[in-house]
Amino acid sequence: MNHICITTKLGSLHLDVQAEFTHEVIVISGENGAGKTTLLRCLAGLEDCQGQLQIAGDVWLDSAAGFVKSTEQRNIGFVWSDAVLLPWLDAQANITLGVNHGDAAWFNQVCEALEVSPLLKRKPAMLSTGEAQRVSLARALYIKPSLLLLDEPFSAQAPDIRLRLRQALKDLQQTLDIPMLMVSHDTEDAKVLAQQHWRMREGKLMNSVTSTKVFATDARR
Amino acid sequence: MVDALIISLQLALTTSLLLLLIALPLAYVLAFKSFRGRTALEVLVALPLVLPPTVLGYYVLLMIAPDSWLGSAWASVFDSSLAFSFSGMVLASLLYSLPFAVQPMQQAFRAVPKSWLELGKTRGMNIKQTLRHIILPVSKGGVLVAAALSFAHTMGEFGVVLMVGGSIPGETKVASIALFELVEMQQQQEAAQLALILLAVSFLMLSVVYSINRKPLVIGS
Repeated sequence: MNHICITTKLGSLHLDVQAEFTHEVIVISGENGAGKTTLLRCLAGLEDCQGQLQIAGDVWLDSAAGFVKSTEQRNIGFVWSDAVLLPWLDAQANITLGVNHGDAAWFNQVCEALEVSPLLKRKPAMLSTGEAQRVSLARALYIKPSLLLLDEPFSAQAPDIRLRLRQALKDLQQTLDIPMLMVSHDTEDAKVLAQQHWRMREGKLMNSVTSTKVFATDARR
Repeated sequence: MVDALIISLQLALTTSLLLLLIALPLAYVLAFKSFRGRTALEVLVALPLVLPPTVLGYYVLLMIAPDSWLGSAWASVFDSSLAFSFSGMVLASLLYSLPFAVQPMQQAFRAVPKSWLELGKTRGMNIKQTLRHIILPVSKGGVLVAAALSFAHTMGEFGVVLMVGGSIPGETKVASIALFELVEMQQQQEAAQLALILLAVSFLMLSVVYSINRKPLVIGS
């Protein structure tokens, strides 16, 4: 079981989130400024926050004990809303960045599944926004992370490829058997992928229920 | 005249190479870290920009005098005096040209997008790896400017090297001092030749700086 109980204040946003989840897919939605990205950044250790964080049995944050595990030690797969690729490296070098002895079979599996294999020798300037986004997703998965944090990873994908990518991402997540938190404004992402769908408003979770319940409620309206 | 030019070139080359090593950690700390005493460190690094060279030379002379701790330590290890020696001039030049090496690097480091640094953290990179794989590849221009400016500035030193080196022919007499002495001795033709060479070196170095600065710092896009 993974356990989140964190608070932080960032500008006008006061984030206050408590949740528990297993190795499942959680889709987070909410209006702009609701704190979705800040929540991902707190989980990654990229923003300071207070409280407790326990992921896969490992304590990442325990403010009462004065303990914070650094981002470098958390083994996070993070996808920013823009691809954040290093422009002087080709797609392959971007995907393997910082990994010295990677798993070649896993690399091929990830690249095939996310349809980036034909792009590997291209530099970011030669990639479309959607292609760059897929390379960025492959980079996050390649390190076999303990937690996947995705900030609108399909926002630049065409509808047809988005369908295939959802399934591919779900398969890869299940292979790794890790929790995945994904910010998305696309209700289809929640319907197809989510075991839990969190709605955020003003830094708080408005609900934390399974997607079947959410969509059953939506359907009755 | 040739001896003085060779000493100047040796001094400029030694100083700029050593400065790259010294300025790199200083620029990193000043660009990315906030700590108590940061402003004081920044002022100390920038001080040679406004300090009269003779004042700096005076303090360096005190620092390397045979009865000082540095002077006596140097004498016990190398069995020679640091004052009025080439090594003493190198030390003075390092201090004198320090801001010309630190500031271009610091500015280049500051221009590295925050998300790229965060990417390094999510890949588990330590400072050395982040410098090697992310910061330095994109800051090459700033590092080259630092080297070129340090070289040119050291070539043009007068007051500091005169105080610390003492203008010993074949040992510490550099080109700028040789030019002064040639003019004093009314050897106009040789003075004109030497002045022209120093002018050309400065012009060449500044051309390098300006051509680098015209190029975008992001490589490969």
